[in-house]
Amino acid sequence: MDFVILSLVMLVIGIYGLLTNRQLLKVFISVELIATAATLNFVMLASSTGAGLGQAFLILAFSTDTAVSGVILALLVIVSKKYGTSDMGKIIQMLQDKGESEDEAQ
Amino acid sequence: MIFEILAVGLIISAILALFLDEVVYSVAALAGTFLFTALIYVENGAFFAAIFQFAVGVGTLAILFLSGEMLGDKPTKKTSTKRTGALIGVGAVLSLPAIFLNVSGSTATNSNLDFGDALWNVRGLDVVLQAIVILTVALGIAIVLYEKKKKGDQ
Repeated sequence: MDFVILSLVMLVIGIYGLLTNRQLLKVFISVELIATAATLNFVMLASSTGAGLGQAFLILAFSTDTAVSGVILALLVIVSKKYGTSDMGKIIQMLQDKGESEDEAQ
Repeated sequence: MIFEILAVGLIISAILALFLDEVVYSVAALAGTFLFTALIYVENGAFFAAIFQFAVGVGTLAILFLSGEMLGDKPTKKTSTKRTGALIGVGAVLSLPAIFLNVSGSTATNSNLDFGDALWNVRGLDVVLQAIVILTVALGIAIVLYEKKKKGDQ
């Protein structure tokens, strides 16, 4: 059993989800998975060396993670209010249609 | 053996959290991810980390449930049982490298630094600064909401 490979697999899953999902909530979940992979590596390394420093860093990593979550949620609320959807594909399509209609009007 | 089971559960729940169509089921799978992570920490003797993981996880899940219900788009189709089974299979396969491969060398250093020492004596300044930043953010949000309410009353 190897915790480095376990956290690496979690990181790869998170990055894959970040690149392929268009729903902003799924993007948020992907970021959470990436953060979990990083903290998992910290804690497991700390417990394997017997030092408490890794757990102390974990507390700091959690506060950063929570701040990132807050920013993503704020973006999600703003985008949902403005466009009525949280799907990035639909939002891009709307913006393209709007740009084309403005070009035709000119 | 327990560690291997927890690792498989962790990877499967992470895969389900990302690829299930319904947001509520995705958030439930993410709850499983946080739970398995906390259990892995407990299994390795990192109790403080497990408690913090659990507390932060519960907060994140509460917000995600609410925002998922309020802001998430409703899926056009439900995830079929076949697809769910395939996702579980993929998760089980992806967890195999973590069980059978090994890249870690010998990392034992026998450091006597315990959690309290590490947090307050080594990283004390960071902790205090982050606490100040978080309190400032909370205060700012409270002021913005108060001003908004004041304008609404007028």
